[in-house]
Amino acid sequence: MQSSQAAILHNKKVVDDYFRMRLSWSGMEVRPGQFIMLRVSDGLDPLLRRPFGIYNVIGAKKTTGFSFKRPTGVEILYRVVGKGTAILSSKEPGERINVLGPLGNGWVEPEEARNVIMVAGGVGLAPMLPLAQRLKAGALLFGARHKADTKIVAGFSGLGCKIKIATDDGSRGFKGFVTGLLAKEIKPDSVIYACGPAPMLKAVAVIALASGARCFVSLERTMACGIGVCLGCAVKTGAHKAGYEADGFSMVCSDGPVFDSTDIDWDAL
Amino acid sequence: MIKKAKPKVKIDKKAALALEVEIAGLELRNPVMTASGTFGYGSEFAPYTDLEKLGAIIVKGLSLKPRHGNPSPRIVETPCGMLNAIGLQNVGVEAFIKNKLLFLRKLKTPVIANIFGETVDDYRELALRLEDAGGVAALEINISCPNVKKGGIAFGTDPVEAHKVVSAVTSAVRLPVITKLSPNVTDIRVMVRAVQDAGTNAITLINTIPGLVVDVEKRRPMLANVIGGLSGPAIRPIAVRMVWEAKSVAKVPLIGSGGIISANDALEFILAWATAVQVGTANFLDPDAAVKVAVGIAGYCKRHNAAVKSLVGGMKARE
Repeated sequence: MQSSQAAILHNKKVVDDYFRMRLSWSGMEVRPGQFIMLRVSDGLDPLLRRPFGIYNVIGAKKTTGFSFKRPTGVEILYRVVGKGTAILSSKEPGERINVLGPLGNGWVEPEEARNVIMVAGGVGLAPMLPLAQRLKAGALLFGARHKADTKIVAGFSGLGCKIKIATDDGSRGFKGFVTGLLAKEIKPDSVIYACGPAPMLKAVAVIALASGARCFVSLERTMACGIGVCLGCAVKTGAHKAGYEADGFSMVCSDGPVFDSTDIDWDAL
Repeated sequence: MIKKAKPKVKIDKKAALALEVEIAGLELRNPVMTASGTFGYGSEFAPYTDLEKLGAIIVKGLSLKPRHGNPSPRIVETPCGMLNAIGLQNVGVEAFIKNKLLFLRKLKTPVIANIFGETVDDYRELALRLEDAGGVAALEINISCPNVKKGGIAFGTDPVEAHKVVSAVTSAVRLPVITKLSPNVTDIRVMVRAVQDAGTNAITLINTIPGLVVDVEKRRPMLANVIGGLSGPAIRPIAVRMVWEAKSVAKVPLIGSGGIISANDALEFILAWATAVQVGTANFLDPDAAVKVAVGIAGYCKRHNAAVKSLVGGMKARE
């Protein structure tokens, strides 16, 4: 964990409003599913940092473990949705940007890589790449608005995971929600890793529960600090698991962003 | 294990002396404190900053029992600021003493416990528990949280109620007492007089300003609590003005708080009669922000060959 100035190594449009930014990295260990917070402007508006899932880890030493040791760069995949990401998309290579991270706990390592089903919606694809790089197996189900968006999935080819695509308009793959694909793929011994819009995650959690599969979700909430002190990114979590307070809240930044889907109070989300 | 950040900056001895201030009988190495609710229980910041370069650490507001806080969403960004309605989520005073104080006691930085109750008795009991526990240098009474239904701001906007709460605490404990006031009153001087008469040793100005942000597409408030407290640079001029107004009746030292990002911001408060300052929202943008403010003040003192003490109230109003 550290706060430092990183060099922007590249910042490229992938397609439409999707961008990839590569940043220099000090060598701190990164676990799949962790995130960073960027200060997109040194000015006062926008004021808060923005959280981004780590999409790609560059130059890590080859290890057999789950985490990435001594990386020299990290990449984020982001979609321009507001003021902060618009500023980010205008940054040029060579500029410096303040980075806080790596933050959060990341994905829980599965026992059997081949049983893994990754389910991603839109920019929720980002934290799946480091996972796919480590697992080199399983399936990726990706939901997008239309065919053009599916360009962002290119980084997953050759990693050994089976890729299936759903689009809202049917312009590529299955027509409909990605959860339609999941219903066909899921088995009781599957381990689901999901990231995307809240309604998608809720639907994934319901399908997983019905089939008896273990399911982990990576959540996104508005955050101010990223280190568990502002208590802004609270989500309601269940009382049944040790370490959780009865009817209490968990912080997406420091307790998550990955949660067991059965821990989340989905009606309160 | 908590790793400590290596100190990146040095303040030389002469400059260090120039930074010392006294608040409520506490000798502070510099006038920069961390505002309650923005610095957790201190340990969270240890990997990112040197906690022993701070003037004081004020921890997240404590209640007698743990509080779960408000439903989510709890925060929303605003122009040059943010609106929050956390609802004083905290571990409760017993868990604080048991689990958090051990780390804080080891620091050479005074720790100030911010306390919040629903009744006057709650405040008194909290104060007694913390004094008994040891390791807390002072108490900051929160009578100004806008985000909870009971207590809080109900005490902070009524001078009679505020007097009751502060008296209950000052008569119960020997620890120095700081009272944090709400800006949500017509005349801050009335509140300053009330808590001063009740024996407070210092006054913090200001807590957040109540605000509301609307999601126009959904036609709903952005926060689940509807109203939240506005903080950040957007509120700084209001906070500086209130410190200045408070001084006309204040006999105890004032602690300025509201939107401080830089040393320059902090100096505005000091020149307008704050003896010390609190850095709040800036801790979220940069976990090393408060120390950077202290370093910046040291630089200013050096350039102007002045001690902080001599700068307090140094603003000359135009004739």
